[in-house]
Amino acid sequence: MSREIRQRLRSRGFAVTTVLICLGVLGAGVLNRALRGDDSPTRYDVAVVGRAPAGFETALQSAAKALGIRIDVSSVADRDAAVSRVSSGDDDAAVDVAAAQLIADRAPPDELAAAIDAGWQSAASRAAARDAGLDDTQITSVLAPQGLARTSISGAADSNDDVGRLVGSATAILLFISINAFGGMVLTGVVEEKSTGVVEVLLAHVRAHQLLAGKVFGIGVVAMMQFSAAVLTGVVALRISGTEVPNSVWFGLPTTIAWFVVGFVLYSTLFALAGSFVSRQEDAQGAAAPISMVFTAAYLTVFVLGGAPYSTAARVVSILPPFAPLLMPLRVSIGAASVLEIVVSAVLLLAATFGMLRLAGTVYGRTLLHRGSRLKWKQALTMKSS
Amino acid sequence: MLDVREVGKRFGEVVALDGISLSVGDGAILGFLGPNGAGKSTTMRAVMGLISIDSGSISWNGAPITHATRRRFGYMPAERGMYPKMTVRDQLVYFAKLAGLSTSDAASAATTWMERVDIAHRADDEVQALSSGNQQRVQLAIALVHDPELLILDEPFSGLDPVAVETMKTILAEQMRAGTSVLFSSHQLDLVSDISRDVVIVEAGRVVMAGDVQHLRERAGMRDVSVGFDTDTAWTPSIDGATVTQATARTAHVRVPAGTDPAVVLADANRAGRVVEFAFTPPDLSEVFLAAIGQVPA
Repeated sequence: MSREIRQRLRSRGFAVTTVLICLGVLGAGVLNRALRGDDSPTRYDVAVVGRAPAGFETALQSAAKALGIRIDVSSVADRDAAVSRVSSGDDDAAVDVAAAQLIADRAPPDELAAAIDAGWQSAASRAAARDAGLDDTQITSVLAPQGLARTSISGAADSNDDVGRLVGSATAILLFISINAFGGMVLTGVVEEKSTGVVEVLLAHVRAHQLLAGKVFGIGVVAMMQFSAAVLTGVVALRISGTEVPNSVWFGLPTTIAWFVVGFVLYSTLFALAGSFVSRQEDAQGAAAPISMVFTAAYLTVFVLGGAPYSTAARVVSILPPFAPLLMPLRVSIGAASVLEIVVSAVLLLAATFGMLRLAGTVYGRTLLHRGSRLKWKQALTMKSS
Repeated sequence: MLDVREVGKRFGEVVALDGISLSVGDGAILGFLGPNGAGKSTTMRAVMGLISIDSGSISWNGAPITHATRRRFGYMPAERGMYPKMTVRDQLVYFAKLAGLSTSDAASAATTWMERVDIAHRADDEVQALSSGNQQRVQLAIALVHDPELLILDEPFSGLDPVAVETMKTILAEQMRAGTSVLFSSHQLDLVSDISRDVVIVEAGRVVMAGDVQHLRERAGMRDVSVGFDTDTAWTPSIDGATVTQATARTAHVRVPAGTDPAVVLADANRAGRVVEFAFTPPDLSEVFLAAIGQVPA
């Protein structure tokens, strides 16, 4: 195992790809920040002449928030001072309470006018209601009745689904690339040991299942280092991007490393088995084709089902072991997976991986010393010791 | 002591080993001879646990060979087995550690064996950059780096130049003196008789001859006679069963039955011309080998 770790860490390719991946992730965050620009709300200054009616400022700020603007209110002594401040540009508008007028240099911005109107009308209505003998509770029930409850036909709606989906999809792509790349190293490493004959010398000292474990876990450690670096860079990139990140993403992103580790062990064990079926590098990809097909199918489900993460299909497929390592992190990032689903999926994936390691430990010892033409999966699983 | 008893192995319809038996004592060296496909490599792979056997038994010091036992063996397969892109030093350290040596002991053993097989000057080169002969030296060092109790060497001399052959012969002699048991196969029969006192000759998965090399030669059914004359002489032996195997103007090589009296042969030659050189010897190992596998009548 230490040989595998040392060999991969020494490789220039590992260093270069790790740096490139991290730079790519970081770059995405910086780019997002640059494209968004300054997304703080537009700010307006409003002067008020005279004593504003009760509830005016509260209603004004509510309307401003709804419109996505910020209004700072100040009092001025008289109308002349207000006009002076507006004409000099110190204030964007002024409200003359006594005259019931909105003063602006030219036409006030629509959103500002709408907010001030809403605040004024609300205050006027409140005053009229109070004059009519209504108490505060009755006034509130008349002026601010309960709105409609929200419900989504595709499950719990979240305004930040898009961020979760984006992060989850990016993570799935990274998972796919990493497992493919490092699983490929396991595949070619096994075939190299067979084709060079070194496996016969190795087996004099270590058992076949130890050899398998050393290769899978050795390369796995290196793969996890690179993947973790990319994920941690992703956290930094999200911070930099200025995007409002939902809690599900902060939970989902680090736990993706766990999905990666188990998923890597599952798939790379299969890759190692496939490698033990052949004696030449040129036959390796053919032997691994069934695994690659399943893995690619799992990858495609991320895009097919990622758009409907609350659907029954997404719920079912994401707990199946071959699909879970790619699809479940996406659903977790969106916040679409329940705790039960996550637990069931994790348990099934761990059980499948453990079972695969047990099976591989047995089969590997027989197929590793096979020479000649490529073994088929059925032959391999049923063959006896040579 | 390695004891292989009546070992049988089939690959489908092909009988690879048909009751092979041999033994290698402590500090003994046994030459394993036979034509291609006779079962030498299969026997060695069975000893190393790389194939299972259908019948018979293989034991080391009277006990079945386990994985732990095998870690004390050194193995050199016929097809070289090394990591092409790993340096010579790393390769030796890696295999030494696999055999159970500590990191410092492995490094020390690697240095020692690189010097012993005369490859230290290439210590930091990748194995794939070495000539096949030098790769062979590294492979031998891998087999020896953990100071094994038993050495299994499959064709250790193939591809070696005369200098490397001498190095390897010296190392094997030292190992033998140090108490290491050695089983090696070779097609270079002259080398085998130089190195090993005992041989086993196999064909078609069966032992056809085994024993002390000198005794096997003595037991052969014929003798080689070499005669040199002082002048051009045409000698036709008048001895029962004698055949001329090679002749020049002044020399003759004749094969006679083993029981023939040398004095009778010399007298017969002297009748043909004046004899200045005369040798009456048992056949060499290669002739014994060929006779054993039925290629040349003894």
